[in-house]
Amino acid sequence: MHFIRVFQAGTLNAFADFAATYTVRTWTFAWLGRIIAQVVFFTLIGTLLGSPEQQRFLLVGAAVMAIVGEVLFACASSTWERRAGTLPLLVASPGSLLAVFAGRSIQWVPSSLATSSVCLLCVGPLFGVTWSVPSALLLVVVLFVTAATTYCFALVPGAAVLNAMDLRNIVANVIGALITAFCGAVVPVSFWPSWIGWAVNALPVTHGLRAVRELASGGFDVLPHLGYAVLTAAIWLVVAGWLLRRLAERGRRDGTIEFGD
Amino acid sequence: MIKQVAPAVEVTALRRVFAGGKGLRKRGPEHVALDGVDLVVDAGEVHGLLGPNGAGKTTLCKILSTVLLPSGGMAKVLGHDVVTHTAQVRTSMGIVFGGERGLYGRLTARQNLKFWGALHGLHGKQLRTRVDALLDRVGLRDRADDRVEAFSRGMKQRVHLARGMVGDPALLLLDEPTTGMDPVAAKDFRALVGELRAERRTVLITTHDMVEAEQVCDRVSLIDSGRILATESPNALSEWITRFERVDALVPPELVSRLRTLPGVGSVSTSDDGRTRFETTEEGVAAQLVRSLVEAGVTTVTTSKPSLEEVYLHVFGGNGMAVRR
Repeated sequence: MHFIRVFQAGTLNAFADFAATYTVRTWTFAWLGRIIAQVVFFTLIGTLLGSPEQQRFLLVGAAVMAIVGEVLFACASSTWERRAGTLPLLVASPGSLLAVFAGRSIQWVPSSLATSSVCLLCVGPLFGVTWSVPSALLLVVVLFVTAATTYCFALVPGAAVLNAMDLRNIVANVIGALITAFCGAVVPVSFWPSWIGWAVNALPVTHGLRAVRELASGGFDVLPHLGYAVLTAAIWLVVAGWLLRRLAERGRRDGTIEFGD
Repeated sequence: MIKQVAPAVEVTALRRVFAGGKGLRKRGPEHVALDGVDLVVDAGEVHGLLGPNGAGKTTLCKILSTVLLPSGGMAKVLGHDVVTHTAQVRTSMGIVFGGERGLYGRLTARQNLKFWGALHGLHGKQLRTRVDALLDRVGLRDRADDRVEAFSRGMKQRVHLARGMVGDPALLLLDEPTTGMDPVAAKDFRALVGELRAERRTVLITTHDMVEAEQVCDRVSLIDSGRILATESPNALSEWITRFERVDALVPPELVSRLRTLPGVGSVSTSDDGRTRFETTEEGVAAQLVRSLVEAGVTTVTTSKPSLEEVYLHVFGGNGMAVRR
């Protein structure tokens, strides 16, 4: 229960930061507009190839990758604790670091859910990706699970860069690029060597993307994909918690957590 | 009113050595930040750690607050070992920094306190009541729902103090809490520290501000180069160099020459306005000087005792503003 309450308290920061970053207008016309342009760009590659099937494939992949790009902002927003000088206070507090950091960057989950939903439900039909009412409703659920589970994964690099703040954007961009390349967003996973296929199964977004493609193709068999997404996310969450504890322990040993840090 | 068992802080032969150099290859010379520190802070005491920059004050606070491990020795907070019983130490201690950092600027004062209260296991009505009481106490009730980033330095420091107290700690660590504050805000802050003493909370305050140490502390430990040089009451520290008492007077030159030869009179200097200052080097000599001056018909005589600042300068003499390595 304490974990949940600390997590909830952490979300205060998340939404305060989000409100300071965006207004409704800037989020809609700047952020959402940018993501729609990105998704349309990828989709038009499919159009250029003259293949409606590839057009739909790329649209779905790019829309789901919008989630990845956004939740990986957790790399940056995790380091904001260090910038604010609150990290030593958090380490010296009786609360769970994982609960704090899990709440700290949660703003990217609803935001990415909204962007990807708009891309798939509003832009999708313009390029032949259509949805029935039941599949549209289920799509939002699937996207939420995808965003939430991918966020659990993003907490791992977020925790890792706390000791290398200068690398936060590089790490987020490299991971985002690797996921886009290998998890079935722009080319099928089967395009790559089989070991890559096995490796990307460890990422929740791979399963979330499969669930979205299932819905986009008219099917409803998404539960196994979501189950894998949740399972892998739970593992990544444990890893993030371990990394945060290690950060604190290492900081205690080598003095890298400074007062006023 | 807080009930505590004595001592609140117990430090024995505490050492902390940092590896030299930076990066993966730390092969530079080691830096000894704490070199066998012994310190006892009694329950309910306001204890000052006074020393120049780099003396080891913050390193000691970091160890006590469980953010840093010692290289050797032992440190206990309220009877709990800071290395092995971190959970107990963390629930019973509040930490207050000086300066802008350590607060969430985009949150309001109330939200900041609610956040840290949640970390200390508070929730619901108990959390709301505690937060309201603290906001009242630090005089921020009317600004409780304003973002902290819009606060003045003094107001931020009040939020810092309230944050440190949100877990109702028996021990508060105040690390240079009035750094950068204007004199009025610093005075108000010290008054708040005085209230903590009335509640029998233990306060360990690091400072290099002698006035602050004199005004708020029951005892002061002088620390330099990672060692505690002395632990005394501010008055007792001043008495250390009572023998260095001063006598200022408008004295005829021939009398100056005679008094200069008295045993126990150290330096004698005359300023441009004709005022002569005698610095004594032995206890009781100042009284003898005053008697001699009065007998010689000198009526404008002042004596003064050294401030803690002079003790500080005497003990750390010659360091100036140099930061220790």
